[in-house]
Amino acid sequence: MFAELATLLITSVLLNNAVLNQFLGLCPFMGVSRKKSSALGMGIAVCFVIIAAGLVTYALYYFVLVPLHLEYMELVSFILVVASLVQLTEMFIKKTSPSLYKSLGVYLPLITTNCVVLNVCLINISNNYDIAHMLVYTIGTPLGFALVLYIFSTIRERLDAANVPTSFIGNPVALIVAGLMAMAFSGLAGII
Amino acid sequence: MDIGNILMAVLVFGVMVCVYIFLYLMNKKTPKPEGCEDLRADCSGCKDFACANHPSHHE
Repeated sequence: MFAELATLLITSVLLNNAVLNQFLGLCPFMGVSRKKSSALGMGIAVCFVIIAAGLVTYALYYFVLVPLHLEYMELVSFILVVASLVQLTEMFIKKTSPSLYKSLGVYLPLITTNCVVLNVCLINISNNYDIAHMLVYTIGTPLGFALVLYIFSTIRERLDAANVPTSFIGNPVALIVAGLMAMAFSGLAGII
Repeated sequence: MDIGNILMAVLVFGVMVCVYIFLYLMNKKTPKPEGCEDLRADCSGCKDFACANHPSHHE
């Protein structure tokens, strides 16, 4: 059981990484990776939203939708849960950290449309995870997202100081770096 | 599908929408920190003209 959970954790963080393997959440990945501080803030905010959304949607599905035979409402109800949690997160960041609110900018409300969040909620249900597996997967996926976002931001900060050909400045070279990172992460497949 | 099931679906959906509206209004009421009143001004625009944050939508 422990080995299975450890494998699921490593898989969700590194091997089935939401950004580099499943190509989800690319909007904040490209948009909030210019500075390390912003990337770290976005990583923490996404972690909070995904973990809270995973727990709430799992409970909602098994304690409300299944007993009432409303399983067909999972998608619409999960979207509403995610949207509500993002409002809560935005309110919390506004009050506690104005600098983080400013650095996240327009990308903070966009966590609502971050497909990683909805993906975690739906995978928890479709894979019939028990509570332990759900917890591990719900924690592992945003950790992988935050890890990759932070690594990417450190590379982009160095790219700003590098002598990049004019036509590659900005997003083109960032996308090339993302591709190289995806290849590097795929090389970790042998550890499981 | 019986009428009770449909009513229950509407009720559950209504409750969730109410929770969202409540949190949305609470968030709107929370004052933005100084200097963050117009965050869209920081966006100089990319090639995605469909994006609501693109400056062409605010001219």
